[in-house]
Amino acid sequence: MTSSPSTTLREAARAPARGSLRGHAARAAPWLIAACVVGYALVVGGYAATVVAFALIYAIFVSGLNIFMGLTAQVSFGQSAFAAIGGYASAVLTTEYEWGLLPAMGAGLAGALAFAFVVGYPTLRLKGHYLSMATLAIGLITYEIAVQWDSVTQGYLGISGIPPLGIAGYEATTDRQILIVLSVCVIATVLAVARIRRSRVGRAFAGLAGSEEAARALGINVARYKLLSFLLSAGFGSLAGSLFVHVVGYVSPEVFSLHMIILSFTMLYVGGIGTIAGPVVGALVVSVLPETFRAFRDYQDLAYGTALILLLIFAPRGLAGLFTAIEEKRSP
Amino acid sequence: MPMKQNIQRTILAVAVTAATLAGVQPASSAEALKIGISAGLTGYAATVDRAWRDGVQVAADALNAQGGVMGRKIEVVVEDNRSEPQEAVTVYRKMMSSDNVDVFISGCVSAGNFAAASMVAKAEKPMMLCSILPQQAAQVKWAFTTLPPAGFEVEKRFEYLRDKTDIRKVGVLHDPTPYALLQKTVAQDVAAKYGLQVVGVESYKQDDADLSVQISKIQAAGAGAIIKIGLGGTTLTAAKNLKQLNSNMLMLTSLEDLAVFKPVAEVLGDKFFFVASPSQVYDALPDSATKAEIGKFLGPWRAKYGDRDPNWASRGWDGVMLTVAAIVNGKSAEGPAIRDNIEKITGFQGTTGVYNFTAANHQGITQNPFVLATIAGNQVKIVQ
Amino acid sequence: MTAANSPVLDGPVLEARNLSARYGQVQALAPIDFQVGAGELVAVLGPNGAGKSTLLRAILGLVTNAGEVAFMGAALPRRNPVAVASRGVVLVPEGRGIFGPMTVMENLELGAYRLKDRHERQRRFDRVFELFPRLKERLGQTAGSMSGGEQQMLAIGRALMADPKILLLDEPSLGLAPRVTDEILETLGVLNRSGLPVVLVEQRAPQALKLAHRAYLLSLGRLVAVIDPREVQSHDQLAQYYFA
Repeated sequence: MTSSPSTTLREAARAPARGSLRGHAARAAPWLIAACVVGYALVVGGYAATVVAFALIYAIFVSGLNIFMGLTAQVSFGQSAFAAIGGYASAVLTTEYEWGLLPAMGAGLAGALAFAFVVGYPTLRLKGHYLSMATLAIGLITYEIAVQWDSVTQGYLGISGIPPLGIAGYEATTDRQILIVLSVCVIATVLAVARIRRSRVGRAFAGLAGSEEAARALGINVARYKLLSFLLSAGFGSLAGSLFVHVVGYVSPEVFSLHMIILSFTMLYVGGIGTIAGPVVGALVVSVLPETFRAFRDYQDLAYGTALILLLIFAPRGLAGLFTAIEEKRSP
Repeated sequence: MPMKQNIQRTILAVAVTAATLAGVQPASSAEALKIGISAGLTGYAATVDRAWRDGVQVAADALNAQGGVMGRKIEVVVEDNRSEPQEAVTVYRKMMSSDNVDVFISGCVSAGNFAAASMVAKAEKPMMLCSILPQQAAQVKWAFTTLPPAGFEVEKRFEYLRDKTDIRKVGVLHDPTPYALLQKTVAQDVAAKYGLQVVGVESYKQDDADLSVQISKIQAAGAGAIIKIGLGGTTLTAAKNLKQLNSNMLMLTSLEDLAVFKPVAEVLGDKFFFVASPSQVYDALPDSATKAEIGKFLGPWRAKYGDRDPNWASRGWDGVMLTVAAIVNGKSAEGPAIRDNIEKITGFQGTTGVYNFTAANHQGITQNPFVLATIAGNQVKIVQ
Repeated sequence: MTAANSPVLDGPVLEARNLSARYGQVQALAPIDFQVGAGELVAVLGPNGAGKSTLLRAILGLVTNAGEVAFMGAALPRRNPVAVASRGVVLVPEGRGIFGPMTVMENLELGAYRLKDRHERQRRFDRVFELFPRLKERLGQTAGSMSGGEQQMLAIGRALMADPKILLLDEPSLGLAPRVTDEILETLGVLNRSGLPVVLVEQRAPQALKLAHRAYLLSLGRLVAVIDPREVQSHDQLAQYYFA
């Protein structure tokens, strides 16, 4: 026997799904769909590329949100605040102070983490509605700061001329280059989140997601892990914000408005909260779906709304959940 | 104006030629000229941008009725950007890559136009805007606006106060939108030139339901008039607050849909003045070239929309006419050619005023076209 | 009760003195003295709202409490459930507190959350599977999809993964069929006979009394009586305690 006992157990635990071809297919399905959508955009370019590029940025944003809301089962309406910090840090530092892209992004990340710590430390002790309200306030206050602090943010006028994504002299300016860079970022994010979920930290998140009291009774430091989860999600939010401003080349407060929160919640629930593939599939579907209905003109919103409701009726655990449900049904 | 007549004559000549030749033209050259509009049909810019879109459409219809531009029918492609910059990028992109539009005559969502500006510039498509211009030189190169400079609205009001009243202290009440902020800055900068003193500057948000704190502060500072800058329901709110406070201050508001002003006038009566663009006071205007041009627009506009406010729509009309003039002058609907020829337009009589573009100036209205008006007995009256 | 089941009285393993608890302004548990001897199975009985769960939560420090609690001769911190748990005082909470979306395997792993030694972890798994063979069959199944009885087994199994020095159970029979309850309680008996002290909060007094060495009877947040199960002859007598 070369495998350690606990690996053997792990294998045993996954055996029912692993054995079947269908199980494989069901687990791969969301990724295949995502790959097809991105592949299509890569080939076709143009308008599809723009839509998918935004979707990929949102996939990172929502993956971050998923750590806090899905893996840890908390509620945050303030995730846009961290995207705003990352986005504005990148925008201001690269245009006004001519910093490099990575240092600016790093500064945004540090800023977002510091803010998340300062805000999370007291608020994460709040429960239920109070926590939600507190996070909602964070998002709104950050938006207001972006509007009012115009000596730095230029207010509603926004900051333009932000350099494109690039590293060591190579710049991603064409649609395809941007899509490839973003895809790499999304893959890295997904691997990171999957890794977090499997780790001890991830198990602790799952524990306090299940029941804070039970987690506490098992010796899990609930407050500390909630804060850690909040920080991780803030970090991904900040990265998404930075990527956004570099891809668009412009930033204004509206980007980080309540609309962003609503959109990301839709993506999270449509894709499947708490799953690894969910945020990616959700971001792609929720971004692409309204565009496919654009031809309906005035009925675009109606068609999109109907599609969302149908999705949530027939796939209440999200699209990623739908595939696993099929898998479970077929392999009893 | 000879220039104007020249252009119109050219358009007419071209149109007639095109109409005559239409039968023998090969299909390819009769391909439609596509105008793209990124407009906030929903969201905060909806009122303004819907009017702008309708104005563009009325202009396109009028030109098509005469045979289009250089033998090509005009087709208007409108996409809703929901007043959001990210959506704007998407719809600009869609119109460029899927619809292959030739030129943009886009709405008033500044952030949306800014967000898309570098992409549009890279694609070498000119944009004729209703919003303020982007900041970057590379982007301004491809962007033009029908919007008069922010200062004009402020200066019109200051002129009135200087010439017709003995009020020398004013307060500024503004919302945080870029255009309002620009006006606020102008107000602070130019007041002295008009012998006025800005004794208070207060801001509010577009959805505020009470402005009495701001108004009281301005009153306490000794102001005799409020220069209100910003659109929407807050104008009526401010009027009601003024009345509740029994204030004697005048209120002079910025340009707005006339529909908003009627209830305000009922509350404040002769203490209420507003900046109006010429198309809004058409009936009260003396005969002039401007009036004649507005007439051309107002005919089809009123036929279609009755007494709906023509202000923003008339700018959309101007946007189309300016673009078409550039196309006809350059005999080309290629992006760079249109761009170059817009820069050459001078003395062009539009519905809002006379447009003079140069390479250095992409904001065509250079003389103050506004009037100050009031509403007396349900009638709009020009006071200056 | 046979002599073999008798508690080994080497001084109490767990001893609470003047332990009281409150939720906000409401006193949920009046000061109580409470003891568990080595190898003892102590039942805590009483009607709904008697303060039984609160007693367990107060021992863990999950609720605002006052008084002293000592475990194996050393004082337990009063406001730090994580530290209490790390000392081997492990609670199986009311409603089981299993993590529904996670697999049986993942739930069990969470029990040994603090453990890094793989071999030790494996030993604990083996012990749990020995007690609850059914859990081994369902390792890959999500916990939420199992029956109530199986979920309770999982909750106890997960607690055992933490290698408890004393096990506190809050109404393990809640919502379970009598047959299943019997099965669970029987397993608790087995555990206890292996030397593990157990505190069992139960509403089903007769079943609990069959296992227990001693029983505390609570009512309205107060200790009413400490019962020796051997002295309880009939249901009527128990009822007298309840309504005394």
